[in-house]
Amino acid sequence: MTTRYIGKPLKRKEDPRLIQGISHYVDDLNLAGMHYAAFLRSPHAHANIRSVDLSKARHASGVVLALSGADIDGAIQPVPCAAQIPDMKSAARPVLARDRVRFVGEAVAVVVASDRYAARDALDLIEVDYEPLTPIVNPEKAIAKGATPLHAGHKDNVAFKWELEGGDLKAAFKSADKVIRQRLVNQRLIPVPIETRGVIADYQPGEGQLTVWSATQIPHLLRTQIASMLNFPETLVRVVAPEVGGGFGSKLNVYPEEALVAYLAIQLGKPVKWSESRRENFQATIHGRDQIDDVEVAVKRDGSILGLRCHVIADLGAYYQLLTPLIPTLTGLMMTGCYKIPAARMEITGVFTNKMATDAYRGAGRPEATYLIERVMDLVAAELKKDPVEVRRKNFPQPNDFPYATPTGLIYDSGDYEKALDMALKVADYKKLRQEQAKLRKEGRYMGIGVSTYVEICGMGPSSAMPAGGWESATVRVEPTGRVSVMTGSSPHGQGQETTFAQMGADVLGIDPSQFQVVHGDTSIVPYGIGTFGSRATAVGGTAVYKSLLKVKEKLAHIAAHLVGSDPERMVFADGKISAKESPKKSVAFGQAVSAAYVAKTLPADMEPGLEATTFFEPSNFTYPFGTHICVVEIDREIGDVKLVRYVAVDDCGNVLNPLLVEGQVQGGIVQSVGQALFEEAVYDEQGQLITGELMDYALPHASDLCWIETARTVTPTPVNPLGVKGVGEAGTIGATPALAGAVADALAPFGVHHVDMPFKREKIWQLMRKSSGRVQ
Amino acid sequence: MKLAGTVTLPAPPSEVWSLLTDAPRLSRLLPGCEQLEPDGPDRYKAAVKFGIAAISGKYAGTLEFAEKKPPHSLILKLDGKGLPGFVKGEGRIELTPKGDTTEIAYTGEAHVGGLIASVGQRMLDAAARKIVQQFFDSAKAELESTKGAAAEPNSPVKAHRKGN
Repeated sequence: MTTRYIGKPLKRKEDPRLIQGISHYVDDLNLAGMHYAAFLRSPHAHANIRSVDLSKARHASGVVLALSGADIDGAIQPVPCAAQIPDMKSAARPVLARDRVRFVGEAVAVVVASDRYAARDALDLIEVDYEPLTPIVNPEKAIAKGATPLHAGHKDNVAFKWELEGGDLKAAFKSADKVIRQRLVNQRLIPVPIETRGVIADYQPGEGQLTVWSATQIPHLLRTQIASMLNFPETLVRVVAPEVGGGFGSKLNVYPEEALVAYLAIQLGKPVKWSESRRENFQATIHGRDQIDDVEVAVKRDGSILGLRCHVIADLGAYYQLLTPLIPTLTGLMMTGCYKIPAARMEITGVFTNKMATDAYRGAGRPEATYLIERVMDLVAAELKKDPVEVRRKNFPQPNDFPYATPTGLIYDSGDYEKALDMALKVADYKKLRQEQAKLRKEGRYMGIGVSTYVEICGMGPSSAMPAGGWESATVRVEPTGRVSVMTGSSPHGQGQETTFAQMGADVLGIDPSQFQVVHGDTSIVPYGIGTFGSRATAVGGTAVYKSLLKVKEKLAHIAAHLVGSDPERMVFADGKISAKESPKKSVAFGQAVSAAYVAKTLPADMEPGLEATTFFEPSNFTYPFGTHICVVEIDREIGDVKLVRYVAVDDCGNVLNPLLVEGQVQGGIVQSVGQALFEEAVYDEQGQLITGELMDYALPHASDLCWIETARTVTPTPVNPLGVKGVGEAGTIGATPALAGAVADALAPFGVHHVDMPFKREKIWQLMRKSSGRVQ
Repeated sequence: MKLAGTVTLPAPPSEVWSLLTDAPRLSRLLPGCEQLEPDGPDRYKAAVKFGIAAISGKYAGTLEFAEKKPPHSLILKLDGKGLPGFVKGEGRIELTPKGDTTEIAYTGEAHVGGLIASVGQRMLDAAARKIVQQFFDSAKAELESTKGAAAEPNSPVKAHRKGN
């Protein structure tokens, strides 16, 4: 295969329609006779529901239906949780609260009206008699003795305990020269996709057909779950994910509204739409992170790490969503990062609190892991008075150590960590940066340099390690005109696979990328698939496409060879022609061979007509991208402002299909990390009220908060898939927060500060400098 | 949300006490108060209009006096809900004579939920302080005007007192 398009920075095929605002998100779709749903949500974090009076709402103008939890008792199954941890307690979320509400924003009733304003206004007519209960907000207090359990039948608020241990930890700590301890807090975040959630359901009683349009990352899994929740035949459910405006994991879920809107459409025999407001999105769409990590590390004086022990308190919120309990376990698996640490142990206590559930948010458990291990490396360096780069280098596995087995039970596929580190040091000119820092310190200016060498787990599969299938599907169909439809089970929502899969197809079949249409997100067209998350769409979904392309190519080679009188093995696909290697005369146009497959008069004997192939690809292992990020900040002594001065990112995601898209993913991921490091924090007050409930109070990074992000790459292909690609969707968020945190801690070192918890808000930094200004070194 | 402060009112404690515990007069001092009707001993049904940032609305609820030690101290309990959310609070007021005037020391805590909590949180403290200030400013004006009227008993107030 000649690579004319793979590896080239083709502009995204998706962008013209997105930039012009002429593509269709759920809320852009309108059906005749559409009705609108609105949800009444609890203003209390914790309360018993004494009664819900819908009588006034039911009589309001335009209202056709109003239901409380009692009205749908038994008709809809609770929100599903696919994660299984031994001995975990149940905490199924009812689609509408019945007797008790457990977080602010939990849906209590739903109203359907002929227009969305009537539906919204009718909510004000619903009278709910709440008996407020004491909210449990702090996860440590939630598991303290005497705390009231949130869920009936539980003896406490511990959802589960999970343990992982590998290597001889006792020996590690016994032979250590030093043991360093630190508490790290990874604050709760709100994913904030630009498009909030939205659902439309349409039911055709004659055909019995239910169609659901939803802003989701997992159309097929959602279809199965809606069928199960409503006890409705799956064969008659079609789920469509139209244009989806960002997910970051928050749409990798099954929500009450998705099942309820479908139920309402069936009940009414009318199409029903629900569009989530931004405030609802803040309160009732999953949150991310929220861990307290108590970590201990055993080190030798020379900087080698002997053992790592960590206890994690994971604040899960009140109920499980699809993967809630699973997310912190990824932190456990990745806790040793990109280092050869012979012994490690993690204990996780999952805790129920009166908050929205946490679940997968870009990185999902792995940003917490890199934060943990990278902060540890910096603390070790500070304690031993060594350069943080040298401590890292000392503990890297070498290229010939791969596949490398971690004490946590993973097998890292491939890696050359030093190469990425050296490239980053070179791009940043690390030596010069340190000299500049020393010079500025003398002038009373506080520059900090942070280094993060990370590894992440992605390309989510194989199935044995996944809650619901670690494979992906693809059908490639060459249509009679020679155009090619690529149906992928992945569900891109910003990742750009309409472009990259076409690039791949163009190189395999020797035709132009414009000839390809990548179809996704419609369960009635695309074979059953898993979806887009965990940086898997290219590594797993792309490989399924690649294998289907090869199958189609092989068939075309046989047809062309038959037509020109040559050997299928000798056929070359290029420039829209299929030609025999030995003679340019022995050649047919691509379209001619395709036509032969459909007209079916000149096919080789015993060959089936048609030109279509389907593959279900399951990788043998995860992939482990890695890299080095270097961040330079300067802290304003007067006001505590953290200014980004430089950011260098060297990422290795294996082979690259389109460098422009990789660049976009890396930059976007880093910016999302800047958000966590500097600004973002979902804050619940002691009464369980989400006081960062809108964009005025929940600060996202702006362009003006950033510096130019300098990117470079090393390429270490993975042996796990034939494309050698690893995945890059989450690398930025996984690699960046420790670099930012390291830089801030480094800048504050003259004040005797070695660790600060995120977010690095001005008042926090200012207070730290003020408190210790007497002991500036 | 916590509030605390002191304020001096231009009348002796007995007069301040009667002002603060007299519902009809009190209702005139409370910013946005549209209704304050007896609902049992030391308990009133209240309707208050209150706006913060872009969220304004009416709250219905109860106002209660507890642990009354005239003219030294009392506890005020507030419990209200409306479309923008709910408020539940308790405040302690202490009166100390200072010559002809009274020094009032107040401390209170309120829990706020619903829309006003998620959207108006940043402005809540300032808004609450403003309401307290408006209240005491009105109380000052009321006491000064009564003084001007030669401290004659106000008949409609008296009539209502009977009702209590």
